[in-house]
Amino acid sequence: MSNLFLAAVLVLAVGVPAGFIRPRLGVAATSAGLLLVGVVGLASAGGWSHARVGLGTWLGFGPAALVADGLAGIFFAVIGLAGGAVSLALVERPPGRVGAGLNGLLALALVTVVGVDQGFVFLLAWELVTLALYLLAGLDRDRPGTLLAAYFGAAMSKIGGGALLAAFALLYANTHSFEFSAWAAAAGHLSSGVQAAVFVLLLVGFGTKVGLLPFQGPIPLGYAATPGALAAAASLALNAGFYGLWRLTFGVLAPHALWQGELVLMLGAVGGLVGILYAIGQEELKRFLGFSSVEHGGIVLLGFGVAIVGRASGKPLLEAAGLLAATLHVIMHALAKALAFLGADRVRSSAGTGELAPLGGLAQPLPRTAAGFGVAVVTLAALPPFAGFVSEWFTLEALLQAFRLDDTVARLILALGAALLALTAGLGLLAFAKLYGTVFLGRARSLLGRLEEVRGPAVGFAALALFTGVLGALAPWEIRWLGHGLEGLLGFDPAKTAISHPLVLGPVYPGFSVLAPTWLAIALPAYAFATALLVGATLRPRSRRAPAWTSGALVAPARVQYTPAAYSNPIRVVLRPAYGYRRELVPVDTGPREPERFTLHTRVVPFFERYLYLPVARFGLRTAQFARRLQSGRLSSYLLYVLVVVVVVLALIPALRS
Amino acid sequence: MRLERASTDHAQRFLEGRFRGALEHAPDGTTVLRLPLGALDRAAVLLADEGARFISVFVAAAPERSLVAAFAFRGQIAALRAPLTEDAAAYPALSLHLPAARLAERELHDREGLTPLGHPELTPALRPDADALEQRIVGDETFVIPYGPIRSGIFEAIQHVVETGGEDVLALETRPYFKHRGLEARFGGLEPVQGAVLAERIAGIASVAHAAAFSQAVEAALRIDPPEQAALWRTVHAELERLANHLDVATKLAEDAALSVAVARFGILKEDTMRVRARLCGSRFGRGVVVPGGIATTQLLDPAELRDWLGRFEHDLVRDRRLLLRTSSFTDRLIGSGRLDRTTVETLGGVGPVARAVGISTDARFERPYGAYERLGFDVVTAENGDAMARLDVRFGEIRESLHLIRQALDRLQRIGETTRLRMDLPAGEGGGFGWVEAPQGELVYWVELADGRIRRVHVSSPSLHNWPLFVASFRGDVLTDFSFIEHSFGLTAAGADR
Amino acid sequence: MLEWIARGLRKGVVTSRYPRGAEPELDGFHGRVEIVETDGARDELEALCPTGAISVSGGLVSLDRGRCILCGACVEAEPERFRFSPAYETASRRRAGVVVGASVERQLEAVRLPLGEQARPLRRSIHIRHVDAGSDGAEEWEISALTNPYYDMQRLGLYFTLSPRHADVLLVTGGVTRSMEKPLERAYEVMPEPKAVVAAGTDACSGGFAATTGEIAGGVDRVLPVDVYVPGSPPSPIALLHGLLLAAGVVTEDGR
Repeated sequence: MSNLFLAAVLVLAVGVPAGFIRPRLGVAATSAGLLLVGVVGLASAGGWSHARVGLGTWLGFGPAALVADGLAGIFFAVIGLAGGAVSLALVERPPGRVGAGLNGLLALALVTVVGVDQGFVFLLAWELVTLALYLLAGLDRDRPGTLLAAYFGAAMSKIGGGALLAAFALLYANTHSFEFSAWAAAAGHLSSGVQAAVFVLLLVGFGTKVGLLPFQGPIPLGYAATPGALAAAASLALNAGFYGLWRLTFGVLAPHALWQGELVLMLGAVGGLVGILYAIGQEELKRFLGFSSVEHGGIVLLGFGVAIVGRASGKPLLEAAGLLAATLHVIMHALAKALAFLGADRVRSSAGTGELAPLGGLAQPLPRTAAGFGVAVVTLAALPPFAGFVSEWFTLEALLQAFRLDDTVARLILALGAALLALTAGLGLLAFAKLYGTVFLGRARSLLGRLEEVRGPAVGFAALALFTGVLGALAPWEIRWLGHGLEGLLGFDPAKTAISHPLVLGPVYPGFSVLAPTWLAIALPAYAFATALLVGATLRPRSRRAPAWTSGALVAPARVQYTPAAYSNPIRVVLRPAYGYRRELVPVDTGPREPERFTLHTRVVPFFERYLYLPVARFGLRTAQFARRLQSGRLSSYLLYVLVVVVVVLALIPALRS
Repeated sequence: MRLERASTDHAQRFLEGRFRGALEHAPDGTTVLRLPLGALDRAAVLLADEGARFISVFVAAAPERSLVAAFAFRGQIAALRAPLTEDAAAYPALSLHLPAARLAERELHDREGLTPLGHPELTPALRPDADALEQRIVGDETFVIPYGPIRSGIFEAIQHVVETGGEDVLALETRPYFKHRGLEARFGGLEPVQGAVLAERIAGIASVAHAAAFSQAVEAALRIDPPEQAALWRTVHAELERLANHLDVATKLAEDAALSVAVARFGILKEDTMRVRARLCGSRFGRGVVVPGGIATTQLLDPAELRDWLGRFEHDLVRDRRLLLRTSSFTDRLIGSGRLDRTTVETLGGVGPVARAVGISTDARFERPYGAYERLGFDVVTAENGDAMARLDVRFGEIRESLHLIRQALDRLQRIGETTRLRMDLPAGEGGGFGWVEAPQGELVYWVELADGRIRRVHVSSPSLHNWPLFVASFRGDVLTDFSFIEHSFGLTAAGADR
Repeated sequence: MLEWIARGLRKGVVTSRYPRGAEPELDGFHGRVEIVETDGARDELEALCPTGAISVSGGLVSLDRGRCILCGACVEAEPERFRFSPAYETASRRRAGVVVGASVERQLEAVRLPLGEQARPLRRSIHIRHVDAGSDGAEEWEISALTNPYYDMQRLGLYFTLSPRHADVLLVTGGVTRSMEKPLERAYEVMPEPKAVVAAGTDACSGGFAATTGEIAGGVDRVLPVDVYVPGSPPSPIALLHGLLLAAGVVTEDGR
């Protein structure tokens, strides 16, 4: 297995320069490499073998190696399989040279982040991920808004990277080593102040990648800016953040204070709600999916927070319930979101636009895209018996274990988290109904010409769709596989109690609640089939086609359908204070004999942009202005600075000596 | 709220002062001014500035073919009459300065071919095409919902074109005239008694009001007065009709609010009203009672029996009304919905409970008392807010006043006894006259011309036609779910407006 | 809410027992006009009726209830020959079925089977879609009176539906104005089989008073095939109920 791992890494490494020279070859290499990594991950997480690729000491600061143990194996499998499918899709319609090369770089960097066991190389790879995402977002630089998205993303990642650097510096200062194992050994002896600081810094660092509130701003913008199917590749970078949380925050740092879990819980709950509230109002496909990523990131953090609370309260079963739920959600989200982005790219290629308003009724001309996108939608919207439902059920069940805690505040916060999760799930249904309904169902709202499916076998798209579709039914096996992988973190295999009878799942606590997605996946189609047989056998309906009924007036149904904006209008009206929603009818110039005409202007206040990002950005710019004044370019000022510094140092030395 | 009766001399003296030499002799309650066609719009503006309310504009043939603009002015009907020559094809539009005249002028243009010059929106009104929807708001955020002409439920045929952003009603256009049956033209050549039969069938739910207005117009043209007993029975039937209409509004509002028991209770009350009308005259709608000259036959119930029925009816009504107005899930939907302000109502010439709900105390029984109303006492019920709740309050107040009026009429009838006549014979005569009543929807005005003992021409000014533009104007910030509440609170007919 | 329940219970049951029991007829109610004496009619009788419902041929008079607007002119002029009757079972499946007295020829019109015989479930419950094609508004009141506790049509399995796609019966009032022709046809087209059309009111049967104005088609049967004619101006709720049950095949024209 280690040889396979080595081969995979080499192929990935080759894919980077190859992409810059021959895009299709480079993307193919990346795809092959990722798929191999995926196989390695499957094997490692399942406990069948462990792989290791030593990197020696030449990268600096101590020995480094790429290790595929249980936890890394899970993330290898996710990134590898999903990324491999995405790259396969890219093979069919390759991006430009820069895009292909950056795709390869991103893949290599992600694999390194997940595999490495040492802090310095981790940071190096992390910054490479940031670089790749920044360059990917800025690829299409002539489109308005792209450069802003790229800079915004880079700035946020810099903040995250800075926080990680500070955290690692603190840990290094305490252990004089970059090895994760050394840090893990020392974690128990850290003073609580240092431990708290490291926790917060790690949370900030990984949170910027994952979309933790209040760092979620660049994520939707970045996805919208990244062209084509590369957005799908970019969406996989989220998992690196989750891996960091799992490995470093949970595994290495081992948080044992209740407030840490509660903080993560609250940020996750509110973040999920914020994500979906803004998703509902989005009128562009990729930005919608970006906000949906923020929402799902919040749900993952809910589970993760429960795990931390469990560890802090000394309840290993609770810990396992939360971590299992969160991991399931990460896997589901990675697959479904990559599929959704691939689908969005196909829609964009066929219809020429990603804006929701002109689209409509695309299910008829684009049946395959509609089917694949439909699988992603039902998974993300958490409909049974699909994977999204399974993971959200597990998350909710984990939150419902609040009664087992002794601390009242923790109980309240878990209960509140459960309520917000329910609200988020409900709004999520609304949002995805709007998305799928107004894009694929109904009639076309405007003339887009003859639409045709994107040509080609769509192997990656189809494979991803198929796998995501059955993932829910495969949940018992998935959990059994996951259990091995999480054993390293938890100390025991949660699958033993999570799976009771064959194919029936429970939230780690035995006997609390049951869910059987596999049986559902068999029973529901069986019922449908049986009903169809019964109806077909007993009734003999003849059908006649008649036009749609529109109150007796013959109006094109497209004119009287709900537009995407109108579908989300009731929520915006009902939650007017939350959105700052305002509308205005503005008269339009028409001729003197024509009746009056108006257009509708609506406005929603982007809360975080206005009250957080813009003030911070302005403050930063003002500081930079001030700092720039110091660099006057005049020789006399610089000489003055030198004099000041010398005097200060001369003054300090005797003070420090004594 | 008791008001001073307007002095009718004011109108005459004002008009005499302003338009010296143009006044013509007219029946009581009407002042007719003869003007050249080109001065019609200026005179109309002058009258409107003095507080006159626009009633209608139409072509009359008595005493000569002329264009007549009728206004309600200080207790009189002030008719501006401009003779039309043979080749007259256009005239300066009144609706340039009087928005209340827009629909009437469009209809006139379709019917008579007279072009109102300067009309802000001269599109064909009669025989609308259900498929020709105009969209006022362009853009991706809004879409159109055509409510009608076939609506979801038991409604009359009318089309409301709603433009919505998803939840709120941004623009509304109401298109009447889907039920235009050409009944005004059908009057020509009928005998007066047959004319009353036709009038009843213009707006079936206000049959008595239409027959009474028609009959009063004939009586005005022929200068006769119906006997006292007939006038009192006309009042009884008219007020029973008002009861039925207002109870229908309450039932429909309760149905919108999904209060099943209230719907059943008010449905029973309305059915009781219809049944007592059937016991009185054989028709649930009071048809066949009012004829020019009086009433057709004796009523089948005597006043004492009707009083007994009234007592039991009022007993149930008071309790149901009290409970309904205490149900906050019901009143919450009405308060603040479809709010009108006084200026809009005055500009568009609104009448009836809709106008009284914004504080305008306009009521034809009070301004120009007709029939027995001159001798009976009642209050004009108004409210201040102008929303759906105010309109319902006005209606419940009018129910109370109607019961009071019926009791007074029954008292007088008992004193009169059975010895007096029921109807006057119609003398041979020519000429035209106005007749007006306060129908349940508002003031209804008829213009009838007779020649050779037959009807020559009729024009109807329906209160619903005046109030449909007010319905459109009442949507300010309301949402789709308020639509049926506001529509039912207006209580208008489509048949009366479309004729 | 409890107060409403108490209030509702206090009134008791007021529902009619029709069709299981006869509805008590109200003396003096103008339900329909009946001919007392058919013979010895002068041609001048025809001028009595403003809508031309009376026709005299060979000294025999006949009355087309589909045109009769119950104005009572004939009853007032010739009380020996015409009189009002409170009877309510006036509906018929054939246009000729609402003509009484002597008529010259009774053509045999092809009639469609009642709904209850076309599909068994429709004997128990039918869904009715009302369309106003130019009525005067009174028929709508009588139709909506069918849902009040006195008549309560839902106890008989009759329901009003909002969409013609769910309807079995199209209940049309009014003589079909020009603007309503196309919407009415569309409503009919969109209804699934088996379906029936009930023309409610004299205006719907023949156009009524407005038949000669040129603005209306002159009866629903000029636009759609009609299964049941319910004359009356307007027909009382119990007469409408009879007509609807006739369309469903629950009652026959004269009685059970």
